[in-house]
Amino acid sequence: MVRTKRMVLFVFAFVMLISMVLSGCGSSSKDNNDSASKAGNTVTLKMIESLTSPERTEVLKKMLAEFEQQNPGIKVELISPPLQNADTKIATMLAAKEDLDVLEVRDITAKQFVTNKFIEDLKSYTSKWENYKTLNDSAKMSANYINNTPYYIPYGLYQKILFYRKDWFDAKGMTPPATWQEVYEKGKALTDPAQNRYGYAYRGGAGGDNFTLMITQAFNADQINPDDSMFLKDGKTIFSTPESKQAMDLFTKIYQEASPKDSTNWAFSETVESFVSGVTAMLINDPDVIAVTKEKMKEGTWATAPIPLGPTGKAPRFVGAAGWGMTSYSKHKEEAWKLIEFLSNPDQNLVFAKAVGLIPIHTTAADDEFFKKGAYQPFIEMNSKPDAYLMMRDATDYQGYGESKKIAVEDNQALILKQRSIDDVLKNWDKYWTDQKANQKK
Amino acid sequence: MKHRLQSLGISLKVLFLSLFLIVMVFPLYWITITSLKPSDEIFSIPLQYWPAHITFDNFINIFNISNFHIYIMNSLIVSLTASLVVLMIAVLSAYVLARYHFKGNKQIMYAFFLTQMIPAFIGFAPLYIMMSHFGLLNKLYSLMIVYTAGLIPFCTIMLRGFFQRIPSSLEEAAMIDGCSRLSALIRVILPVMLPGIAATFIFAFVQNWNELFLSIMFIDQESSKTIPVAINGFITKFNIDWGPMSAGAVLSVIPTIIIFAFCQKMIVGGLTQGAEKG
Amino acid sequence: MKNTVKARKPVSSQSKFIFFCLLPAILMVGMFTFYPFFRGIGMAFQNYTLFDLTDIHFIGLDNFKTIFTQPQFLQALSNSFYWVFVSLIFQFVIGFILALLLKKPFKGRGVYQGFIFYSWAMSGFLIGIIWRWMLNGQIGVINDLLLKVGLIEERIGFLSDPKWSLASVIVANVWYGIAFFAIMLLAALQSIPDDLYESAGIDGANWFHKLFYVTIPYIMPTIIASTLLRVIWIFNFPDIIYAMTNGGPAGSTHILATYMMDKIMFGGDYGQAGAAGVIMIILLAMYTIFYLTATKSGKGADF
Repeated sequence: MVRTKRMVLFVFAFVMLISMVLSGCGSSSKDNNDSASKAGNTVTLKMIESLTSPERTEVLKKMLAEFEQQNPGIKVELISPPLQNADTKIATMLAAKEDLDVLEVRDITAKQFVTNKFIEDLKSYTSKWENYKTLNDSAKMSANYINNTPYYIPYGLYQKILFYRKDWFDAKGMTPPATWQEVYEKGKALTDPAQNRYGYAYRGGAGGDNFTLMITQAFNADQINPDDSMFLKDGKTIFSTPESKQAMDLFTKIYQEASPKDSTNWAFSETVESFVSGVTAMLINDPDVIAVTKEKMKEGTWATAPIPLGPTGKAPRFVGAAGWGMTSYSKHKEEAWKLIEFLSNPDQNLVFAKAVGLIPIHTTAADDEFFKKGAYQPFIEMNSKPDAYLMMRDATDYQGYGESKKIAVEDNQALILKQRSIDDVLKNWDKYWTDQKANQKK
Repeated sequence: MKHRLQSLGISLKVLFLSLFLIVMVFPLYWITITSLKPSDEIFSIPLQYWPAHITFDNFINIFNISNFHIYIMNSLIVSLTASLVVLMIAVLSAYVLARYHFKGNKQIMYAFFLTQMIPAFIGFAPLYIMMSHFGLLNKLYSLMIVYTAGLIPFCTIMLRGFFQRIPSSLEEAAMIDGCSRLSALIRVILPVMLPGIAATFIFAFVQNWNELFLSIMFIDQESSKTIPVAINGFITKFNIDWGPMSAGAVLSVIPTIIIFAFCQKMIVGGLTQGAEKG
Repeated sequence: MKNTVKARKPVSSQSKFIFFCLLPAILMVGMFTFYPFFRGIGMAFQNYTLFDLTDIHFIGLDNFKTIFTQPQFLQALSNSFYWVFVSLIFQFVIGFILALLLKKPFKGRGVYQGFIFYSWAMSGFLIGIIWRWMLNGQIGVINDLLLKVGLIEERIGFLSDPKWSLASVIVANVWYGIAFFAIMLLAALQSIPDDLYESAGIDGANWFHKLFYVTIPYIMPTIIASTLLRVIWIFNFPDIIYAMTNGGPAGSTHILATYMMDKIMFGGDYGQAGAAGVIMIILLAMYTIFYLTATKSGKGADF
């Protein structure tokens, strides 16, 4: 009896010893690398991405490998945290001034990074960068979003378009909807719950605020202040007008009569899934969905169109962006810029944009066949009609911006579930932004 | 009459136990067959309760698109080591807290108990900054250190309970024979407490194996990631990649189930021994 | 008092032994648990937000005032109570029944136990993901089964309908937690001497009396200790909810723990998160004190 127990103790101690040796070996090999890099004078850049996905990381790694080839003295270590927690991790790392050189900056995180002085002002680099001149207007605007200073170089632009089931529409002899009213009517016509078919992929869950905002702005259109798009030109919020009520009313009707009940909680993946698997007929989203639709759907069953117009024939929109920036405390700023510059040059950017499904940043890309035809066509159409498809500035300057998204989603869910009234919700949003404006630091 | 009641009772018992078995095993069954289905079958309606085509693609996939074998190694190393270290530290403190009356004994127990009430997230940011200052980030052993620290209170509480059941006459006898306190502890007491120690070890191991948020925060590089981080990575912007995700889930669950299956007799035995009045 | 060593050796040697045995534990817990915890609490009284880290200063109870006026917080508060107590009751009752049924050994009991207790070894996150998959409104297997059996006519949006969402996460939590109680109670049950039952039987007790007058009183310490601990753990357990619904829809599944997580991850507001955390701890402390005095168990966890 005692012997077996002794044996077990021995085994425990043995296992522990092995684990310690193994973990010791693991960390010591890392130490070897560090000393090697110091010895050979190689600079190791640490880079972190945010909108991680296994496929995109592969593309990035290839681009980084090419960069390392062209720059023998520089190595790049890519950190790829899981998408859900990436921004939190980045923020924590920056706050602790943890070793980082290049990072993915998103339009929604840019303001926060700049205020906290986490990222570097890139003006001294961009002024000497020849490819800066070929950046298209949206890219330039995004880069210079904060204080008119370039704090990051976008790697692509996110603009929403309408995806629709061409085969369903053709079968009913319908053209794709041009206005929100048509989205409702045509969506309703295509809805057949018995067949598990619905007109519109309503996004009630995370990110749904983008769409309630979209339709509210479409209805308010000309009255909106394009530089401060939560507010009208007269200073009141966009949620104080009778048009906003009409907008929310229509959108709620779209949920009730053209979308599955389940969509109250649908976020990005559910809406895309519903379109791709043949449950919904219409989906509004960024171009990175194109990669998914191309892969999972038969050609000819789907197509794209410009985003719906409001009753006055206008569709205000945002251009979202994300890109590469540099930490303000990086010890290798020159090399970090080299990396950013490499990733942002027209060729590399084209590769990246095509792979991920974004709009490239250089004007030269417009000549590329890939973007002229087929699914990307609506972008060209929308960009060529700036009076109808007006560019707006999103409210990222406000401290409560992040929080407002959550509130918008929750209030809207309460609305479509008939727990709150439209007036109530609009009043809440109106008050929220009025308070934000009042409390904004000058 | 009594016979009939008895057989009714037995059939009810069997019914309940079978029902329970089905309910408990079904989710595991479902995620396993999902991992064995090709991706078009996963999303097809009507649902397949048995895959029409069994494929190991999902498993092959996760070893391709991610370094899953490295993650398994890392999880193993971290969980094993942290659990063993916790055990050592907790045994020492639990023994002392159980056997000796000294000033602060009660306070320490209350302090340990208090840690159970602390919501984990409240200390994350300060902990991160502190680890960063010490340059401890991004190393597997820093994860081990934090895991160990986190489990010390509960394991100490558990082990103290076990120690209290064992009569002190055991080690007193050993000490009379010339053993030092420490060697009496190791040579005499621990063997007797083995089931309880096993139970504590397994509990610690399972906690460490499944820990997610700290490992996301503290580990950057691919080569040091653990399994939970990897599984979380399958939740992408586009969809939850249910194919690889279920494969990853199955792989993550298997070791804990195996260890658990082997040792649950010991665990129940250990807890029974702990509950026995002296 | 029993099982303590009488001081034999000179005091200093014994004190040294005690000190060195406790040192590693106290050091590690102090540094890696208590220090961050106190810093975190400190943040509750500051305006510590990621949006502007250059301007952190003491703001007293403002964070508390802010979150108390947020309907999401109040909903998280009420949800927390449902989450804890409904989960606990089901976990306990079912676990107890299971333990009673397993008390008498039968062929294959060991194997059976292996199959039903494993849920406790899984990560809450994984459990949440698996249940999310099964409860999917379109292609989930639960909906499919219910339809096939004819219990429902239309698919239920378990996780998208606020009427169902809290119940759904609770179900997953119960599935997870039964094993804990079953194991603990089984162990405790097996320590009850058989002669107690025999003498009760002689006195004319039926199974009902035996259960409530012999069994339960005998294992009361275990019941108290395990329910106490379990309530605290369930209260602080965000993993399942995080994976299944992340608090939605419309905040219907937010508990204080996930609410706090959300403040950090979505809102970047450590100050408010800290305030929520402080409130959580106060609630738990109040509960513990109340529970222990009500059940007249003065000493700490005594398994």
